Amino acid sequence: MRPIVTRTAAVLAVGAGIAATIAAGHPEITKTGLERALAPTFANLYVHQAGILGIPGITTATIGATTACDKGGPEVADTGAGPNWICMMSWADNQGKHQDGKFEVTVKTDATYVAGGPSKIVGLARITDKHGHDVPNPVFEFDGVISTG
Amino acid sequence: MTTAAVRSARAAAVPPSTRRPGLGAALRWEVVKLAAQIRSRALLAAALVIPIAVVAVLNGQEQPPSDTIYGKLIHLSGYAMPLLMLAFAAQWVLPLLAAVVAGDIFAGEDQHGTWKTILTRSVSRGQIFWAKTLTALGYNLLVLTVFAASTIVSSVLIIGSRPLTGLSGQTIASGHALRLVVLAWVTAIPPIIGFTALALLLSVRTRNPAFGIAAPVVIGFAMQLLGSVSGLDLTRKLLLTTPFEAWHGLFAEHPFIGPLLTGLAVSAGWTVICLGSAYVSVRRRDITGG
Repeated sequence: MRPIVTRTAAVLAVGAGIAATIAAGHPEITKTGLERALAPTFANLYVHQAGILGIPGITTATIGATTACDKGGPEVADTGAGPNWICMMSWADNQGKHQDGKFEVTVKTDATYVAGGPSKIVGLARITDKHGHDVPNPVFEFDGVISTG
Repeated sequence: MTTAAVRSARAAAVPPSTRRPGLGAALRWEVVKLAAQIRSRALLAAALVIPIAVVAVLNGQEQPPSDTIYGKLIHLSGYAMPLLMLAFAAQWVLPLLAAVVAGDIFAGEDQHGTWKTILTRSVSRGQIFWAKTLTALGYNLLVLTVFAASTIVSSVLIIGSRPLTGLSGQTIASGHALRLVVLAWVTAIPPIIGFTALALLLSVRTRNPAFGIAAPVVIGFAMQLLGSVSGLDLTRKLLLTTPFEAWHGLFAEHPFIGPLLTGLAVSAGWTVICLGSAYVSVRRRDITGG
């Protein structure tokens, strides 16, 4: 066979292979996956924040965080990466009061995400610790990963 | 390389027996040639020094680079910085490190017109292929090790060894964090080997050192771009850049290694295909004209 023929065939085969993988893929980033990752991560960081502020007796159990996530409103399928995930979080704050807060979540294709909390409830980007130092607020904005296997 | 060193290497390369020299002799010569290159020594020095400077500068900045993973935490723990550096380096630095020597090692013989010279020595083409491949692989793993060690050690020394916040918000104690950070850099080895094989293939096929070095970096960028498109979940798994992100799972509260195993298989696949094609090309090549 002439080189031009084999080369064209090879390029077409690779193209077809890529097209097949695009068609055969199924989304790894799901609503359930994000909810399972986000709520415990927030709870862990909220305990961390309570430690910084010097508030005793806060554990992930007392916080009891749960979340419900949605991507881009009712018309968009709740799967895949994107900057338009919204997660409603419910938890008991460090005074034991029930809180509902909206988290804006950007999920990347590598299954990591960046979540930003509602600053009215979780505080601003920097907080004052129990010794009077100005430190970053761990729940203001945080990175996390969605389990994919 | 000093003349004395060349002489001693030559003495080592030519054993005083009448036995036909094998892969060992070819390998020794490739190492001697590589060690004599300014480029290979400069890259090794850069891999040692540049991370220290980058760590110091990033640590000195008021505003952390918060758009890359672990960027927000670099001031809080010395273990966050090597992870930020790993995530950043995977974008183009690691493919470039893999290609600087591997992309040149075959094409350099074309550039200097020395194929005839080395192929008329009493080693086979196969032995020359494996000598060059092993030299490039060994050098790249050495550069990666130096780069990783310099990054981790300078981060811990400059920023400190306070506990690290994991990707599930959990606190990872200092000793465990150090082990995980080292492990995260170890997971870069399979895709680095894959990129080395890709650069070797391009070096053999294009016969052009500049192309052999630049093309893997460009291909790496293209893969990153394709990998950032939402909805291509299976395609993205087959890209050679995706295994560079597999370490994320190690930092979850319940660690998962699925992406690591997939990445290992994908890197192995790329390596076998690229090295196989390169081997066939070298074996079949007609060098009488060049």
